[in-house]
Amino acid sequence: MAGIWIFVEQRDGAIRKVSMELLSGGKELASTLGEDMAAVLLGYQVGPMAEKLAKCADRVYVIDDPLFQYYSADSYGESLANMVHTYDPSVLLGGSTFMGRDLFPWLASRLATGYAADCTDITIGDDKGIIAKRPMYGGKVLADVVFPQARPQMATVRSNVFPLKSLEEAARGEIIHIEPKEDSSTIRTKVERAEKKATGKVDLTEADIVVAAGRGIKGPENFHIIEELAEVLNATVGTTRAVVDNQWRDHNDQIGKSGKIISPKLYMAFGISGAIHHTMGIDTSKVIVAVDKKPNALIFDYADYGIVGDLFQIVPALTAEFKKALSE
Amino acid sequence: MDILVLVKQVPDTEAIIRAQSDTELDIENKYSLNFFDEFAVEEALRIKEKLGSGKVAVITLGSKKAVDALRRGIAMGADEAFQIEDPALEEIDGYATAKTLAKFIESQGYDVILCGKQAIDDDSGAVGPALAQFLGIPYLTSIVELKIAADKKEARAAREIEGGTEIITCPLPALFTAQKGLNEPRIPQVAGVMKAMKAQIQKFDLKALGLSPEDIRPKTKILKFYPPGKRPPVKMIEEEFPKNVEVLVKILREQEKAI
Ligand SMILES: Cc1cc2nc3c(=O)[nH]c(=O)nc-3n(C[C@@H](O)[C@H](O)[C@H](O)COP(=O)(O)OP(=O)(O)OC[C@H]3O[C@@H](n4cnc5c(N)ncnc54)[C@H](O)[C@@H]3O)c2cc1C
Ligand SMILES: Cc1cc2nc3c(=O)[nH]c(=O)nc-3n(C[C@H](O)[C@H](O)[C@H](O)COP(=O)(O)OP(=O)(O)OC[C@H]3O[C@@H](n4cnc5c(N)ncnc54)[C@H](O)[C@@H]3O)c2cc1C
Repeated sequence: MAGIWIFVEQRDGAIRKVSMELLSGGKELASTLGEDMAAVLLGYQVGPMAEKLAKCADRVYVIDDPLFQYYSADSYGESLANMVHTYDPSVLLGGSTFMGRDLFPWLASRLATGYAADCTDITIGDDKGIIAKRPMYGGKVLADVVFPQARPQMATVRSNVFPLKSLEEAARGEIIHIEPKEDSSTIRTKVERAEKKATGKVDLTEADIVVAAGRGIKGPENFHIIEELAEVLNATVGTTRAVVDNQWRDHNDQIGKSGKIISPKLYMAFGISGAIHHTMGIDTSKVIVAVDKKPNALIFDYADYGIVGDLFQIVPALTAEFKKALSE
Repeated sequence: MDILVLVKQVPDTEAIIRAQSDTELDIENKYSLNFFDEFAVEEALRIKEKLGSGKVAVITLGSKKAVDALRRGIAMGADEAFQIEDPALEEIDGYATAKTLAKFIESQGYDVILCGKQAIDDDSGAVGPALAQFLGIPYLTSIVELKIAADKKEARAAREIEGGTEIITCPLPALFTAQKGLNEPRIPQVAGVMKAMKAQIQKFDLKALGLSPEDIRPKTKILKFYPPGKRPPVKMIEEEFPKNVEVLVKILREQEKAI
């Protein structure tokens, strides 16, 4: 049994960023262990992506089948379980995405192995097993999780944990096509319809830069100033539960305990008081900037940089200043 | 229609939690029903009310405090409560939790199983999918809408995925994990609370379930707990407007190289 497997997610013909990050990190883990790294790609009409992956990984296992156009544990999970039985990897990593967090716990129990969710680091221990670092209790405590016996060691990992590296090499990995055993009668959950958000922006969980406004923005009609700043920075817009509860923004945009956990390189909070439920969602952001009119707002306890002031004055000025700086 | 709801009593989001040693946590005594489990209980009650018949049972695996999760479920309107309790279940992982729950649930009739998207203590979100796997039933995670077909043989659910929403159907019996947005959980009424205090809680231990400690050996182990790294103290940018904006942009670009 050997090898690190990365479960690669793709959407609309592109490999997701978190998967590329995992391939970057996986490569280092594999070289530390002296093992190979393989990419696993399931979907429909994924040929070009398999070619791309072959330049990054030692092997690429591919299922390319109409039944795999939409994800279901009945198709993806059963096939992966078979593949793991056949090839016996020691580690299986995936993104802490919607799909990863749906699939991995199911698969781990099917394989009677261990699973660590939503990890913020993966390292190698003295015994050559992996150590999965993960926040618990909303980030109040961190835990190092190990897998005493069962293999593969399975974990989902957040975005922006492993830095993206350019992996493409001339040496080509082997592409191995797998025929699925499933047919349409064995897939019980059926996607009837998928409605895409028309924003075209990367999701909060994957964004490099997030700009957010809380109740301090006063109303939905004012969010355009945040959107404009986001536009200049190519950032994704987020918000607080208070704003979502007021129906000023969609729940998809909510950051925090009952929303999304983000880990961007830069997070900017405007008119957000910094309730624990919110800050639990921003803990692993690299740099945090807060602007609030109250000097004692809790958010300043979490921020790296703070400005006490009126967001209606500061946001447009920031937009203009960034625009100027970026055009230089 | 028989509906089972998994409930877990967890430290409140506001409870102070510290790593006392590598293997022990110091948890402030403030517990409540897991945030996401409230949506699960509420949805079960709504399905029953809509169909005009059926039974809602709440199930927990845990000792002492776990009973409060069951009582909350009863106070909201659940009909029955089951507790699985055993000293051997003190420190188990999601795998063993799901396996034990599966063993119990196999002996129960059910059409729908509801649980939370994740327990806000361990934040794993592993128990629902793993339980569905052990039971061999389909499951949908993180749902924000659930409709049971009139013939009670199929369900249609909506869930939020990155950048969109999916509408999915699946045959019953099935398991669903509840995300915020599924409903607005009711606040228990006085009569409900009274009923919960008197409610009979049916208890099961490992032996009653026909499981041995070997069956539930965890697959993962926590090597150590530790506090998150402290962020350095905030640097307040004290210059007057608009100078402060210029300073911030300069720091983010030149020092932090964030933009
Ligand atoms: C001191 C200590 C040591 C621990 N050691 C380990 C360890 O070594 N390895 C490890 O992996 N874990 C360990 N745990 C955590 C473990 O006991 C978790 O409770 C277990 O993994 C269940 O998963 P979860 O809480 O993450 O539930 P999730 O999977 O996040 O829960 C999802 C949903 O499942 C249902 N559910 C979950 N748990 C229960 C339950 N008990 N009863 C009824 N319904 C439930 C709820 O509806 C919940 O919303 C430890 C915990 C403590 C306090
Ligand atoms: C179980 C539970 C789960 C929760 N989950 C979440 C979650 O996932 N995410 C989340 O965000 N919250 C969550 N909450 C809610 C959370 O506790 C707070 O209520 C919420 O985050 C507050 O939102 P806010 O900061 O936008 O609003 P407020 O707390 O009202 O803060 C508004 C801030 O704007 C400032 N302000 C006002 N005008 C201006 C101005 N002109 N310029 C600059 N600043 C200004 C004010 O000084 C204030 O600090 C949860 C709560 C519970 C109980």
